[in-house]
Amino acid sequence: MKKSISFAMALTVALSATASAVPVWADDVTNLTIWSPTDTAAIEEWWVEKLAEWNEAHPEIQVSREAIDRSDSYAYDNKIATAVTSNDLPDIFYVDGPQVSYYAANGITVPITEYFDEETMSDFVNSTVTQCTYDGELYAISATESSVALYYNKDYLKECGVDVDDLDSRTIDNPVTWSELAEIAEKCTTDSYVGTHIIMDHGEGLPYALEPMYLSAGKDYISEDGAEADGYVNSEEAVATTAYLADLIAKGYANVDPITDEFLNGACATMLGGSWDMATLEASADFDWGVTYYPVNDDTKTAVSPCGDWSAAVSKDCENVEAAGEFLQWLMSTDNVASYAAAIAKPATRTSAYETEFMAEYNDGPRALFVEQLQSNAVPRPRTPSYAVFSADYAEAMTNIFSDAASNEEVDEDYIQSELDTVAESFTEDYTTYYAE
Amino acid sequence: MKKSMKFSASFSKFMFYFGNIVIGIIFVSPLIWMISASLKPEAKIFANMNSITTFLPVQASLDNYMEVFSRLNMPQVFKNTLLYIALILVLDLLVNSMCGYALAKFEFKGKGAILNLVIALMVLPMEAIMLPLYIEMSQLGWVNTLMALVVPFVAKCFSIYMFRQFFCDIPDDLIEAAAIDGCSPAGTFFKIVVPISKTVYATVFILDFVSHWNDFMWPFLVMTGENNRTIQLAVQSFFGTQPVHYSAIMAALVVSAIPMIIMFIFMQKYYVEGIASSGIKG
Amino acid sequence: MAKTSKLTGRKRNERVAAYGFVAPAVILLIAFLVVPMIYTVYYSGFKYQIMRPNDMTFIGLDNYTKLFQDKNFWLAFKNTVYFTVIVVPCQCALALALALLVSKKFRGVAVFRTMYFSPQLTSMVVISVLWSVLYNANPNTGLINSILVTLGMEPINFLTNADTAMNAIIFMSAWQGAGYQMMIFLAGLQGIPRDQYEAASVDGATKFKQFLYITLPGLKGTIKYVIMITMIQAMKLFTQPYVMTQGGPKNSTKTLVYYIYTQGFQKGNFGYACSIAAVFFVIVVCMSMAMKKVTAATD
Repeated sequence: MKKSISFAMALTVALSATASAVPVWADDVTNLTIWSPTDTAAIEEWWVEKLAEWNEAHPEIQVSREAIDRSDSYAYDNKIATAVTSNDLPDIFYVDGPQVSYYAANGITVPITEYFDEETMSDFVNSTVTQCTYDGELYAISATESSVALYYNKDYLKECGVDVDDLDSRTIDNPVTWSELAEIAEKCTTDSYVGTHIIMDHGEGLPYALEPMYLSAGKDYISEDGAEADGYVNSEEAVATTAYLADLIAKGYANVDPITDEFLNGACATMLGGSWDMATLEASADFDWGVTYYPVNDDTKTAVSPCGDWSAAVSKDCENVEAAGEFLQWLMSTDNVASYAAAIAKPATRTSAYETEFMAEYNDGPRALFVEQLQSNAVPRPRTPSYAVFSADYAEAMTNIFSDAASNEEVDEDYIQSELDTVAESFTEDYTTYYAE
Repeated sequence: MKKSMKFSASFSKFMFYFGNIVIGIIFVSPLIWMISASLKPEAKIFANMNSITTFLPVQASLDNYMEVFSRLNMPQVFKNTLLYIALILVLDLLVNSMCGYALAKFEFKGKGAILNLVIALMVLPMEAIMLPLYIEMSQLGWVNTLMALVVPFVAKCFSIYMFRQFFCDIPDDLIEAAAIDGCSPAGTFFKIVVPISKTVYATVFILDFVSHWNDFMWPFLVMTGENNRTIQLAVQSFFGTQPVHYSAIMAALVVSAIPMIIMFIFMQKYYVEGIASSGIKG
Repeated sequence: MAKTSKLTGRKRNERVAAYGFVAPAVILLIAFLVVPMIYTVYYSGFKYQIMRPNDMTFIGLDNYTKLFQDKNFWLAFKNTVYFTVIVVPCQCALALALALLVSKKFRGVAVFRTMYFSPQLTSMVVISVLWSVLYNANPNTGLINSILVTLGMEPINFLTNADTAMNAIIFMSAWQGAGYQMMIFLAGLQGIPRDQYEAASVDGATKFKQFLYITLPGLKGTIKYVIMITMIQAMKLFTQPYVMTQGGPKNSTKTLVYYIYTQGFQKGNFGYACSIAAVFFVIVVCMSMAMKKVTAATD
């Protein structure tokens, strides 16, 4: 037994020896660490190449990046939360758009307003500037944006007698209306096809992709100042919007439980899909498809589209915010934004980036539509520190409402009201507990 | 008469295999689906889910595997994972079997209390202690080191309890006899008890290996950086990029399952040796 | 006389050895399970937003008062108990049946053991993703529903109907988990001396009688252990609802650990989550102690 214990001790000692091998740096050099989610090979290479370039040009500010293997954004938030608790945050970390306010309100990130002058900021699309601003200060900065539009399967729509040329010719001032979408969905629903696809990730995808519907009907999820949900997410307008969506499910025009790649596999006629879906469709769809603007409410005809993407923020544990600011200025230069956006296959945030060769394919064709939406009518998700609570509760309520509609094959507006009331209540509780003055 | 008996014997043998194969297919089908999906292009993975043909690899190619190996440094990932799991398991088998043996065969003050503690702690869900445990790691300076992956998971209540259950069944005569021969309690354990207990060691080895191989959240929290990546972090990294490429995920999963299958086929042999040594116990 | 002194010497030796044997495990358990647990209980007395560890407010038992009035907590409790009560007997019986099938040596036994164990070889997250697809409500895209329709039955909204979602998770969990308990039963079966069976079959006992009078009594300890750990693992149900249903629809698959996780990490109510964890701990410990008493009484 003695032998085995000493063996165990030897192992422990060996382990701690390997553990304490920490690199030592000279005093006058600032070392910055970045955390951002792991991505495709192209983007991983981009980081290696760009950081090598920066580090060579700036011997006094050495930057390194750690790729974080998040499984979902909640896992990533957990990693940030644990690091916050033990002051292990890196100097710079990436945050998903709607979380910017949450981190800023809790003092996890620090303002970086002074590093980006007005002229620079005017080159960024409004949507990203708004999303990254909290309480009048800029807390994060992003190179890329996202958007959602209506994809349609041309081959199948023609078969069903839908006027595809009409869809193709729509402009941003004349998008498809909800009732038109419902009509198309009705025409295209058969035993083996559904008319449309509602994103059903039971998570952030729901509030993200559906918010413009609510905005188009006249009421956002949350008040402008981020403090009230009561009277917003459970307003009359919101109930009507939700009822419209639930009706698509109740009538069987959309699946309550769609499979991944439903549209790609040719099982649904239309889909509210993301800008990120385009590359996959181009590569693997075996049918002709098109994409048109995000649909609008029949009465208001107000065009709105979703936006928001991961942004870089400076953490409270950063010892040299000035160095981090200087690095971010360089990271968000037109050229870097353009090449990053091209590598990650997302629309860039800087207008000037579209003049470079990297963004050439966004100047016309289907991708230009996303840029057009971003530049004219994109609205970021509510800027409130209680967004995470809202998002989880809203997704849960929608899942309940949709499954209720699917089981009963009809829409129960009282049930919708009661579910949305619960979302508002829970938001208010969180906001008053932690953030109200 | 004799012939019919022979017939019925071979018939029952046939039925035995037939039943095993049918049940086996039900259990192994997801693995087959996963392997088949790993060979398909992205657009075909969730196509034809309504028919049995979804289990057949259509347009098979190794592209997905190429993507996995180009995105991840797999040898490094395997090395990291096998190293930390090996360390946990060596210490796990040693520490927990000793504890289980003492709880089964020794009389000492506090035995009942320790047994109750072990049962009570089995209950603790990782989700409930994750954050305080992380803070502890941080205070010890173990974040981003092997220590954080290994040390907190050496002692395992499930393993201790399992060893105890098994050792309880070992006849006292055997231990008495060793003691009378002049063996110390430790000597008895390592020289007599351990060699006849290969089955329980194999069981704990298999179950703990599998559960650590599937660890995601803890390595994710305490380890940062590509050089520290463990297998589940590598697999999960594919879920983080929009759009999610299930083709690459399936290929990564197949690659990640291979070491476990090899381990399992190798370890399950010890279940037969248990029979051979049961004579000693009787 | 000489013999007694030798024996007491041995007893003393044994006691010293016993502490040496249990010490490493007990020290590690205290350091990495008991200490974090004490912290969890400590945090449960605070208003604690997870992102603001420096801004905790002591609120006494407020979290507990809130907890006992929280209908979601009681729902989660009910769902957890329902899952456990159904899944434990099903999974244990299935595991025992599988173990009996592959306990003896025969040609290909390693292959069959591997097959039965194979759901354990893939992570639960992926198994859950796959079963979500198999359970898909649309017969055009879901394999199980397409089979039901072929057989002339109505398709079932397995995961999107509050009445069926938990049962669907139970079925899939028993299937996935049985391999784990099978290995423990296999280990137990190897401990039953073969000559007992030989003697019984010479006496003309049927296979069923042999099972009843030799296998079951021989496995008594193993069965108790398996039931206990299956119960504890079932009470900790988390991954399946997290991946497949996110606790819904209509809270039907919200479990206690799922509730702890979403409250603490997703919504940041860490102090409150700690109070749920503390209550959960007390409940499950009571249950397992009761189980231990009950099974001890059957000895």
